[in-house]
Amino acid sequence: MPGVLVIEDDDRIRLSLVLALEDEGYAVRGAASAEEGLVAQREEPADTVLVDLMLPGADGFECIRQLRREDDVPIVVVSARDDTHDIVAALEAGADDYLVKPVAVKELSARLRALRRRGRTLLAPVSTMAFGDLEILPEAGEVRLRGEPVALTRTEFRLLCELAEHPGLVLSRQQLLQRVWEYEIGDERLVDVHVGRLRQKIEDDSRAPRYLVTVRGMGYKLQK
Amino acid sequence: MRITGLRTRIIAGFAAGALALSASMALISYQVTRSNLLAGRERSTIRAATFDARVITAGLNTDHPDIVGMLQTLDTGGNRRALVHRDGNWYARGADPGAIAVPAELQRLVTAGEQAIQRVRIDGVPAVVVGLPLTPTTALYEIDYLRELDQTLRVLGWVLTLVAAAVAAAGAGLGWYATRYVLRPLRSVADAAQGITAGDLTARLDPATDPDLERLTTSFNEMVEQLARRIERDRRFAADVSHELRSPLQTLAASASVLHRRRDQLDDRTATAAGLVVDEIGRFQSLVDDLLELSRGDQPVQLAPTDMAALAHRVVEARGLPPAIVVCADALRWTVDRRRIEQVLVNLLDNAVTHGGGPVAVRVTEEGRCGVIEVDDEGPGVNPADRTVIFDRFVRGRSAGARGRDDGTGLGLSLVAQHVGVHRGKVRVLDRPGGGARFRVELPDVR
Repeated sequence: MPGVLVIEDDDRIRLSLVLALEDEGYAVRGAASAEEGLVAQREEPADTVLVDLMLPGADGFECIRQLRREDDVPIVVVSARDDTHDIVAALEAGADDYLVKPVAVKELSARLRALRRRGRTLLAPVSTMAFGDLEILPEAGEVRLRGEPVALTRTEFRLLCELAEHPGLVLSRQQLLQRVWEYEIGDERLVDVHVGRLRQKIEDDSRAPRYLVTVRGMGYKLQK
Repeated sequence: MRITGLRTRIIAGFAAGALALSASMALISYQVTRSNLLAGRERSTIRAATFDARVITAGLNTDHPDIVGMLQTLDTGGNRRALVHRDGNWYARGADPGAIAVPAELQRLVTAGEQAIQRVRIDGVPAVVVGLPLTPTTALYEIDYLRELDQTLRVLGWVLTLVAAAVAAAGAGLGWYATRYVLRPLRSVADAAQGITAGDLTARLDPATDPDLERLTTSFNEMVEQLARRIERDRRFAADVSHELRSPLQTLAASASVLHRRRDQLDDRTATAAGLVVDEIGRFQSLVDDLLELSRGDQPVQLAPTDMAALAHRVVEARGLPPAIVVCADALRWTVDRRRIEQVLVNLLDNAVTHGGGPVAVRVTEEGRCGVIEVDDEGPGVNPADRTVIFDRFVRGRSAGARGRDDGTGLGLSLVAQHVGVHRGKVRVLDRPGGGARFRVELPDVR
């Protein structure tokens, strides 16, 4: 049974989410603070972590950064805040997805499923794809820059693979949202922030990208 | 009539002032110089004529005076001509006496025994005529042509005109410079105000520019400060309200899903009540979303090139409607706020589903630079009296029975109007040919 850790300080919200997600077939644990959540995740890692942003003590952003420092567990923010500033900050801290409360349980479940699928290999795996000094090994789940392995989260890896499968072709933000996040209609900031994070890892100068370039008004493409 | 700008008026004022001043100065100097030069010339002409008169008077005292011979001995140079009038006859050095050039008035004065001088124009050349009585029947007339003097004055006139024009131009230039300097703070105020309108609340005037403008600067900056504080407070309030409403809704939504999943285990009464709770939580959620969206209406538009065909198809498919209803050219790329236009389309489709029996066509077209979105339905149409009020908040369709099944929030169309409004566009309801309603959205300058 896939495990979910819910880090949420509001007891009622936490309890209701635990009940509802258990109904959806998850093994759910709750944590009332970032500190408690980090300990729980270290002791028994869950497959996915849900994080609220307003937490007592270390806040949600700090919590995401801590979790990210330890491994690439998919992190979904479930927050009542829908400010662009908060959304971008949470994604930049390392969250994979951002949902604004109230989230319908069906929707939440669909997002968790999409995240789990993201870890799997692509439908038509290719052994190695090379873009200049950048090497992508989809089956091994590895990316190397000048022979050195680059640590990517699953979302970043999937995003890179989607772009790499269509070398030189522009993919729109909506296409990427559908393929990587499995949204029918979604928030394009998800794509922009993840592209930004990916660039910091694979580009020498993320402001003047060489591989992952923006095509104004169209989307993104990966070039050799 | 269009009122000329402050700047143009100031520059024109400076130019006119400079022109008036320089023109009058030029005119005065011209007049003074001219009269001085002419007076000097008249004096020298009289002096020369007086000398000549003495020579001729001496010659007349002989028995047979040779007047022409005497005239030929006179040193008159190229500019002067001497004529003698004696006993009704004219004598001159050459053949033509040129007596016509001597005005009758002058002749009358001289015949009366007086010395006289007059300015005349002979064949277009200005000249001075001096008349001196020698004897009661003899008079000497000398004509002094003023060719050089005339030329000098003409050149002077041109120079002064040019100077006046240059001074006027310089005045205009000075006005231009002065207004540029004077209007610079106004322009920085305008720039700052424009920035603030566009949503940049950090725009301030530089307080260190000019002590004379300090009051303007400080009061402007204070005003912006207050405005920014108020906007921030409103934004905070909306965010707080949003947070406080959303948190309990999350508990309700999650708990409702637990109830919903177990509806088969409940007895009929409890299941019906649980069903109502679940439905109403859904509606409450949409209501909160729409209210928050409405309260954020003043947020700046985020314009970006958008593929309209992709957007229309995505929205229609996400609503589970047949893709064939979309009529849209492939290459339509509009510069719009994608999120808002998406919501416009979603809300129009929802409206068609709730009140119009479902949409039958979604057309995205261009008319010139204007973008047009039309959503048609086959419902009862909209009563002409209701065609503006349906865009007001909390107004629902009036058709009988619709209310009972209505799960709308009553805010969908007002959100449409708001989103279209921030694009400076228009939304209208028309009759669809063949029955039903047609919602038409026009967005200016989308290309």
